[in-house]
Amino acid sequence: MRSLFALAAALAVPAFLFAQQPGPAPAAVPNISGVWNLRSSPETRYLSYAFTREEPPMTAWAQERFKATKPSFGPRAVADSNDPVNPTTVNAVGCFPPGTPRIYLQPFPMEIIQTPGRVLMVFEFNHFIRQIWTDGRPHNTDLGATWFGDSTGQWQGNTLVVDTIGLNDKTWIDRAGHPHSDALHVVERILRVDQNTLQIDINIEDPKAYTKPWGGQIKFQLRPKWNVTEMVCEDNVNFDEFLKNEAKPQN
Amino acid sequence: MKNSLMFVTLIASFLLTQSRVLAHHGSAGYNNKDLVTVTGTATEFQFVNPHCIISLNVKDVKGQVQKWQGELTSPNHLVRAGWNAHSIKEGDQVTLTGWRATSGAPALRITKTTVNGQELKTEVGD
Repeated sequence: MRSLFALAAALAVPAFLFAQQPGPAPAAVPNISGVWNLRSSPETRYLSYAFTREEPPMTAWAQERFKATKPSFGPRAVADSNDPVNPTTVNAVGCFPPGTPRIYLQPFPMEIIQTPGRVLMVFEFNHFIRQIWTDGRPHNTDLGATWFGDSTGQWQGNTLVVDTIGLNDKTWIDRAGHPHSDALHVVERILRVDQNTLQIDINIEDPKAYTKPWGGQIKFQLRPKWNVTEMVCEDNVNFDEFLKNEAKPQN
Repeated sequence: MKNSLMFVTLIASFLLTQSRVLAHHGSAGYNNKDLVTVTGTATEFQFVNPHCIISLNVKDVKGQVQKWQGELTSPNHLVRAGWNAHSIKEGDQVTLTGWRATSGAPALRITKTTVNGQELKTEVGD
């Protein structure tokens, strides 16, 4: 009997002790936090409207939609644009969310905030926020198709690989008017290549709109003295319209 | 003369009613090969998104006042360049250089702003 107790104690004690022992330190992940601003050069002027200089490989379905888009920026820019974010057509509403990945091309900085299990991207443009879950959870598309989709992330070495699905088809991929369907699947590989540079390789897959995966690379510059401040797209003209309509007599 | 005055009035009316169009920018609305400079008295400074607007009265050689509008970038970018919501006040003497509106309206996309003799830069610092 005594030996049985001794055996039980011998089995129990190590487990108890192990629980008190400091375990192996969790693998440190790179620090990508900070305020970042898109960097372009004379060679990458196309970043003001697109992710690549080359035309993406559109299907007939996408080409038809592309012809109908009238962008405000890029080589096809027109003065009566129907861009859902930055229209110039009279009485167009505009200011709709740019979505993933177009939000990167809006010319405003973003702040990355890292917390355990989650990376937040806080965009100055209309204060949109992307949540990238890094706690191992699977995708959740219970909300249905959304403007920024559902993003999960996984650290592969020093690179944060972000997988995004569940995107609606109301946005353009870029400011040049390239369309997409709700089958859009975006994979971003985010790497801090040095103290001041964040590099994001974007892969776009959408079999309904593109004959093969395509993408581009964008780079951001660290802006340590900047803050992300309030920027509300509807601030100006849309609010004036709202007030005018509110002032109308109600039937 | 009467016709040209009417034309100017029509353009000014067009500008006022279409300020929504101008305010919502786009690169196609201005001709970057048509650089103009106008000097006048500030009547309004809208420090609003998505683009700040400077309105001014400009006298032509005959003393006729023409209403001009200049469009800048957003307040966020201007604050980083040293501006604030009170950088331009009604009555300030303002000289604007920029790209003329392709529509022919007295409007420009501003590339240089001088207020009471002092240039306000738009380049964003660190």
